[in-house]
Amino acid sequence: MHAVEIRNVTKTFGAVTAVDDLSLAVPQGSVYGFIGPNGSGKTTTMRMITSIFYPDRGTIHVFGKQMSGARSELIGYLPEERGLYRKMAVRPLLEFYGELRGGRKVTAEVDGWIQRLNLSKWASQKVQTLSKGMSQKVQFIAAVVPEPKLVILDEPFSGLDPVSADAIRSAVLDLRRRGVTVILSTHDMRVAESMCDYIFMIFRGKKVLDGTLTSIQDRYGIDTIQVAAEGGLQFLEGLPGVDRVRDLGQMQELRMTAACDPQEVLRVLISRTRVTSFSIMKPSLHDIFVRIAGPEAEETQVA
Amino acid sequence: MRRILLIAKRDYLATIRTKAFLVGLVVAPVLFGGGFLGIALLKSKPDIKDRHVAIVDRTGVAASAVIQAAQESNAKDLFDKVTHRQIAARYVFESLPPDADANAQRLALSDRVRSGQLFAFLEIGADDLHPRHPPHGSNDATAGKVACYTNAGAFDDARGWLEGPVNDGLRRVRLAQLGVGASHFDDVLAEVPVERLSLVSKDVKTGQIREAHKKGELDDFAIPFGLMLLLGMIVLVSSAPMLSAVTEDKAQRIVEMLLGLATPFELMMGKVLAAVCVSLTSSAFYVIGCALVLQALGMAGMLPFALLPWFYIYLIADVTMLCAFAAALGAGCSSPQDAQQLAILLMAPVMVPYFVFAVVMQQPNGAIATTLSLFPMFTPMLMLLRMALPGGVPVWQPWVSLAAVLAWTFGMVWAAARIFRVAILMQGKPPKLADLVRWAVRG
Repeated sequence: MHAVEIRNVTKTFGAVTAVDDLSLAVPQGSVYGFIGPNGSGKTTTMRMITSIFYPDRGTIHVFGKQMSGARSELIGYLPEERGLYRKMAVRPLLEFYGELRGGRKVTAEVDGWIQRLNLSKWASQKVQTLSKGMSQKVQFIAAVVPEPKLVILDEPFSGLDPVSADAIRSAVLDLRRRGVTVILSTHDMRVAESMCDYIFMIFRGKKVLDGTLTSIQDRYGIDTIQVAAEGGLQFLEGLPGVDRVRDLGQMQELRMTAACDPQEVLRVLISRTRVTSFSIMKPSLHDIFVRIAGPEAEETQVA
Repeated sequence: MRRILLIAKRDYLATIRTKAFLVGLVVAPVLFGGGFLGIALLKSKPDIKDRHVAIVDRTGVAASAVIQAAQESNAKDLFDKVTHRQIAARYVFESLPPDADANAQRLALSDRVRSGQLFAFLEIGADDLHPRHPPHGSNDATAGKVACYTNAGAFDDARGWLEGPVNDGLRRVRLAQLGVGASHFDDVLAEVPVERLSLVSKDVKTGQIREAHKKGELDDFAIPFGLMLLLGMIVLVSSAPMLSAVTEDKAQRIVEMLLGLATPFELMMGKVLAAVCVSLTSSAFYVIGCALVLQALGMAGMLPFALLPWFYIYLIADVTMLCAFAAALGAGCSSPQDAQQLAILLMAPVMVPYFVFAVVMQQPNGAIATTLSLFPMFTPMLMLLRMALPGGVPVWQPWVSLAAVLAWTFGMVWAAARIFRVAILMQGKPPKLADLVRWAVRG
């Protein structure tokens, strides 16, 4: 049984189709990453899983039970649009949210998470006195107390400093170790690559990628050269078998055509400038994302 | 239900712990009763400056009698009988002979009124002494009427005051012309006041007949109007914040977090239940306060205990329907500014009864009063007012209207929940009435 099973779900808002005939199966105990450009349908899909929105067509099952509109204590949800009662103190607020979902007192669990995320000093303070990072930690706790079987996190790392992001990342991975299924959306491809067992990309309401990182990369093959060379971009024009160059600043990514010989590319490049790094690799998730959804202008078209 | 109660508990505690709630408990009655308090204060500080009135008497015989009657009225009404403090303006008269050019005289006197030398001038027409049998047979529109020229406000009581001495004076002249001696005038013209008394009733326990008691303003006006005012005030104070509270929750992005934990219906009903609890808390404060004050004044018997159950039923129903409506409207707004534009829709069910209460009090069982009080939006305030008025209402009306109110409240909550669910996560311009209807129908 999957944690979440979405079958042929469509959701429209007026004339806009936000999610179009989507099917998806999220295995239990996995971390499932939702990626896609803004407005592609990630949040709408998450809201449908939590029953905030109802699909126009199709069905959604969570742990084998079709979602009918009632809220389930099995699901914890951290929405993208963060908001907390600003005049409530942190601990009573978390106890309120926890009791609302779990139907029981959650004082001990709240205290445990407050300590774990270093919020003890702020537990009695009003939410309005917290920094953005601390507010996000509070909201994260609200999504996981009492511990649900499925956690849905919409952009959990956006706006966090590296220390806070590490704390949340560690907490998410800890949840997975305890068997909790995690669905998270992110615009940070490194997060998706490093944390997610499965990656799902939605673009204009349709599923365009779904699988493990390896399986997704395998679809594209080894077609990328990552190069660092003195002079950078100016020496990369007209390389044989290279149809696109993506400038990353200190290094560049070259996309090879099917007939491209990387040895020939290296030979030509060495003849032009001093090469400090040259790697042949599968495309990064970022590159795949951009290939699917990025505007042509982001890349330098070469002859 | 558990989630509704939890949300209600949080919202209720968050409301009653604020300073605004405590301040509102005191300020609201002052604001709502302010107009009546103002009238009472103004009555205690009357304008006692002398009012100079000129009389142009075209009968040639009435002026002196009118002036005499006015002086007697002055002597009677000028001072409070207990405190001997002057409580009314003194009317000072001067009699002027009529000019041949009546219009020129009227203009000259009008100028004196404009300059403040005169408060008004009266013109007693030649036919006014015997208006039923005018000897001069004038076709003038003012024939048979004493003209009072003044620039005093429409609600100034001068015209009403002057009517007494003018008629008294004219009657004295008529009596004199009939040969009645002046010593009989007081007896002939004596007025007998008509006193309003309650109905006589029988004591159920002792079987004795209870005597009627004198009915004052407190019985006939203050208690019924006070009950309606109190109900309207608590309803408005409890339901108006709902609109901005929902909009604020939406603007501060609190709503989606809550919607992950509770259904829109649970969220809305939690908020509505909290508002009902706040209204019950406020009403307990006012009802107990009023009871204590009336008891201290020895007027505890005035308390309409029999109406209290109706008061609370109507209060709960009214707050529920208005709060549900407010939550639906608030869900459709993206900012407090949007919400302010829609606030008038919420105030109508409370303000309309305030506008028509005088009509209802004049004819509590008239067609207008009955129809309006059977309309569920206005039933709580108007039916309560009619029930509190002497004579009451037919027995079936409160029950039928209660059934209509409960059905209407249920319908409002149902429609509001559907609107709330659709609108709560929407952003952009505020909804039109057609949008609200469409969301309520289609969900």
